Amino acid sequence: MREQKSALQNTDKVMISLYLVLVFIGWISIYAAVYNEDHASIFDLSQSYGRQLLWIGASFFVAYMVLIIDGKFYAQFSYVIYTAVILLLIFSLLFARKVKGAEAWIDIGFFKLQPSEFAKFATCMALAKYLSSINIRIQDFKTKIISTIIIAIPLGLILLQNDTGSALVFISFVFLLYREGLSGNFLLFGFFTTVLFVLALLVPKFELVGILGGITFLFFLFSRKSKKNIAVAAGVFIVTAGIVMSVDYVYNKVLQEHQRTRINVLLGKDTDLKGAGYNVNQSMIAIGSGGFLGKGFLQGTQTKFDFVPEQSTDFIFCTVGEDWGFIGTFTVIALYMALLIRILFAAERQRSVYTRIYGYGIASIIFFHVMINIGMTIGLAPVIGIPLPFLSYGGSSMLSFTILLFVFIRLDAYRMMVLR
Amino acid sequence: MAMEPQKQVMLRIYLVYALMCLFGGAIIFQVFRLQFVEGEYWKKKADSLSTAYVNIEASRGNIFSEDGDLLATSVPVYDIYMDFRAPGITKELFYHSVDSLALSFSVIFGDRTPQEYRKELKTAWIEKDRYHLIQRKISYKQLREVKKLPLIRMGRNAGGLIVQQNSRRQLPYRLLAARTIGYKIGEVKPVGIEGSFNEELSGISGLQLMQKISGGVWMPINDDNEVEPRNGDDIITTIDVNIQDVTEQALYDQLVKHNADKGCAVVMETATGKVISIANLTRMPDGSYGETFNYAVGYSSEPGSTFKLASLMAAFEDGLLELDDSIDTRGGKMQYFGQWMRDSHEGGYGKISLEKAFAVSSNVGISQLIYGCYAKKPDAFVEHLRKFHLHEPLKLQVTGEGLPYIKDTKNKLWSSTSLPWMSIGYEVQITPLQLLTFFNAVANNGRMVKPKFVDEIREHGRTVKKFDTEIIADTICSASTLAKAKTILETVVESGTARNIKNSYYKIAGKTGTAQVGYSKLNKDRKISYQASFAGYFPAENPKYSCIVVIYSPSNQLYYGSDVAAPVFKEIADKIYATQFDLHKNTEPLLATEEKTSVPVKTGKQKQTAQVLGKLNVPSSINGSSGWVSSVPNDDIVEMKEKDFPHGTVPDVKGMGLSDAIYLLENTGMHVSASGRGVVKKQSVNPGTKTEPGKIIQLELGL
Repeated sequence: MREQKSALQNTDKVMISLYLVLVFIGWISIYAAVYNEDHASIFDLSQSYGRQLLWIGASFFVAYMVLIIDGKFYAQFSYVIYTAVILLLIFSLLFARKVKGAEAWIDIGFFKLQPSEFAKFATCMALAKYLSSINIRIQDFKTKIISTIIIAIPLGLILLQNDTGSALVFISFVFLLYREGLSGNFLLFGFFTTVLFVLALLVPKFELVGILGGITFLFFLFSRKSKKNIAVAAGVFIVTAGIVMSVDYVYNKVLQEHQRTRINVLLGKDTDLKGAGYNVNQSMIAIGSGGFLGKGFLQGTQTKFDFVPEQSTDFIFCTVGEDWGFIGTFTVIALYMALLIRILFAAERQRSVYTRIYGYGIASIIFFHVMINIGMTIGLAPVIGIPLPFLSYGGSSMLSFTILLFVFIRLDAYRMMVLR
Repeated sequence: MAMEPQKQVMLRIYLVYALMCLFGGAIIFQVFRLQFVEGEYWKKKADSLSTAYVNIEASRGNIFSEDGDLLATSVPVYDIYMDFRAPGITKELFYHSVDSLALSFSVIFGDRTPQEYRKELKTAWIEKDRYHLIQRKISYKQLREVKKLPLIRMGRNAGGLIVQQNSRRQLPYRLLAARTIGYKIGEVKPVGIEGSFNEELSGISGLQLMQKISGGVWMPINDDNEVEPRNGDDIITTIDVNIQDVTEQALYDQLVKHNADKGCAVVMETATGKVISIANLTRMPDGSYGETFNYAVGYSSEPGSTFKLASLMAAFEDGLLELDDSIDTRGGKMQYFGQWMRDSHEGGYGKISLEKAFAVSSNVGISQLIYGCYAKKPDAFVEHLRKFHLHEPLKLQVTGEGLPYIKDTKNKLWSSTSLPWMSIGYEVQITPLQLLTFFNAVANNGRMVKPKFVDEIREHGRTVKKFDTEIIADTICSASTLAKAKTILETVVESGTARNIKNSYYKIAGKTGTAQVGYSKLNKDRKISYQASFAGYFPAENPKYSCIVVIYSPSNQLYYGSDVAAPVFKEIADKIYATQFDLHKNTEPLLATEEKTSVPVKTGKQKQTAQVLGKLNVPSSINGSSGWVSSVPNDDIVEMKEKDFPHGTVPDVKGMGLSDAIYLLENTGMHVSASGRGVVKKQSVNPGTKTEPGKIIQLELGL
């Protein structure tokens, strides 16, 4: 093993550059979103943009720390970090204060820590560690169960904190599992369940069951009448019909009031623009009115007059859309796509399975965040309160995404030294 | 699956890549759709759908009396709404708080029962109303209480309280000069000072960004105003609250006494034309009196005998008449071209001097004198009235001035009887204030000044405009005419119709007037009512104030100016005289300095008492350290004894001035009702007894 000459030695400069550009776009977008004429300086620490700069500085420091720590550390301490974060989640569940109805914050004086943000990379590490262990194959039933448990513990705890949005992020690990050999049927099953759920909300459910029955009957008519086929057809019908019939229960009993409204708004069933649809509508007005070139920096009217709630955090994307127009939004999306593809590319070039799995894990997380966050601002996804990585205002998310990414950059830089 | 593991992995990788690109593409497609395909729609929405700048009214300036008392002010009132979609209001929390909220609203506003409020709140909650009106026009105090209530105390964002501030105009002195102060209600043309200084008082309204929500309701977006309104300037009037009070009260008493329809009284400072009080009372259908029309400014009518001053002055100017010219009053009646003119005094006064004829207000006498002078050249008479500026409006600072009417000989209505009747104040019309301005010119040695209601305009206490006294004419007549005019006016009070208001302290000069209203040379059947008036000034030797009192339609048999109007004048003049020491002839100190007289000292704060005594060089001794003291005047020294008021007991306020007494008693929670003036002589609740908040304690004051 060689001495590391500098923190940046062998690091992937493309990823770091993309990261820096996104962080910078985030900072000026926050400035535009909460711009206050009385505090026009972008460095004003009494304002969100000034504080975000502090977080950016802190993140750079943390990134540096991550880079100078030995690459072996992360793999070796994966379970320790995972356990620590789980304990933090339990702690926050017991002692944390409520913010917007979610018990997700631990107030440590100068900083309100949001452990759910840190659970993402910790889970990612633990999963990578487990799946990269010798003799572990995802095809094994036991492996599936243990993987599910690793994901389910933080997910469950975060759900208990009433932070559904952050909990849903953990579902994105299914991509990682798929890459590592999980049967595509699981993805298909998830996909069809979602489709059926939506259909069940839009179409009267007995008609839907009738249609499913009809499809099953047609399959039965045109396939070979083997016992196996009949069993499969019957099984599929029973499961799908069961899903459709249980939608009502899930919708009315499991989901909470605000979640129901958000789904209704997305499906166009609730056109009420005063409540749940308000954010999305205002956000779409902001982005839609941006046009090709946008209204110009600080010129967005929707933004300036605080029409869009949570604009510096969850709805930061509409600032980009309004001020910079299609050019701006396209650039941001392209930057994310470039970063994701770069991560996947880097993951595939690893000789260390741990690093590869970890890479896929963070790509899944970032991908989910970006898609859902941007999707909700343009009316494609339900409003789930999760931040846009590197852009949204907030210390916890800034720090956790930085660690998430830079651990991978560190692991990637270390690839030359593994199994040499 | 026959694929090689390596190939299968590659396929999976590509699938993941493809999936990401698919989502990315979908997002870019949707953004593209939003910005280009539907761009115009969203742009329009952004521009117009939901927001607009809405005017926020600037707070209106105050109107002050001359010495800084508030005559009209705007007090903030608040409309409060609740946003039931506020994030802090959860179902659980709402149902937990709704009962206490409903009860509190009911207690604070008292307009609905808790049940009604509860029902209303529940409905609004179920409908998720974002802008549910709770109550309009609540006071700041009520607002403060509301802000403490459950749910609401979580703040605007979480608790959903939306407050909109408006203002309500209030006249702290209620009736006092109300009509002259005026009002502004909605889009109706404002009247009085409020009307004429509307622009200054209004200020410049600001703008606030509001958002349209369902039902066409506008809701403010944030609490900051986008463009701060510039508040209106303050108006400092010439009104003296104390004299205004006296004027109003004296007029009111007299109106009640004589069951009169309406009346007005104006006091003007001679040198400056400042209107220091102006009262206008009208009997309302329910029998009470209210300020509803500004008669002094706006009501032009035949003045009657008060006008005789102008007639005689015209003749003095031309040197046609002297004070001792004699005239035969012909048994109190005579005919001009078949029209009877009568004196009020049956049988007349015989042959009397001009001065006497004026003093007893003989119509026959004065009209003959004037007719004798001007029958052949009535133009010259009218010309003099014009020189006295009686024909032109004053162009006052308050709107709605009535126009004077002085006929000239070219007028179609001019007849052979016009001259004699004009000479005694008929066939001319003039407002009380215009007539007062003329009398004031006489008092002011011929200089005619314009009555002034507003002294200054102030912005944040800084004078931005000062109104100087406007001079209508430097002199309206010669010095000799003036001297004669003054003499005959003084005679009226000395030995004439107004001798009932003569007093030994100061001299009043003036003229009574008793005009028949509805009087017509042609139509004798018309019901006659009277207009009793008195115009004059005081102190006669060195006039400081002029005053006019006009009482319309007194209906208790008495209707002469001397009986009905002059006493009001006297009462007002007395009060002014009593309070304005510079009017007193002997300015020598009441206390001879050499002689030691015991000083009456009010009970009060020790520090202040000591200070006053020190300033006056009265030796004093202090017994006790601080707080309240009662002072016992001895022959050569004032002894101060400490007074102790145990908490929770009624303090002994005897010997105190009213303000100290009220301060102490109201602090214990009791309400004070006082009568008399001077220091407290009696208190209805004995000192030392337990205080009962809200109980009324009566104080009797005396000197």
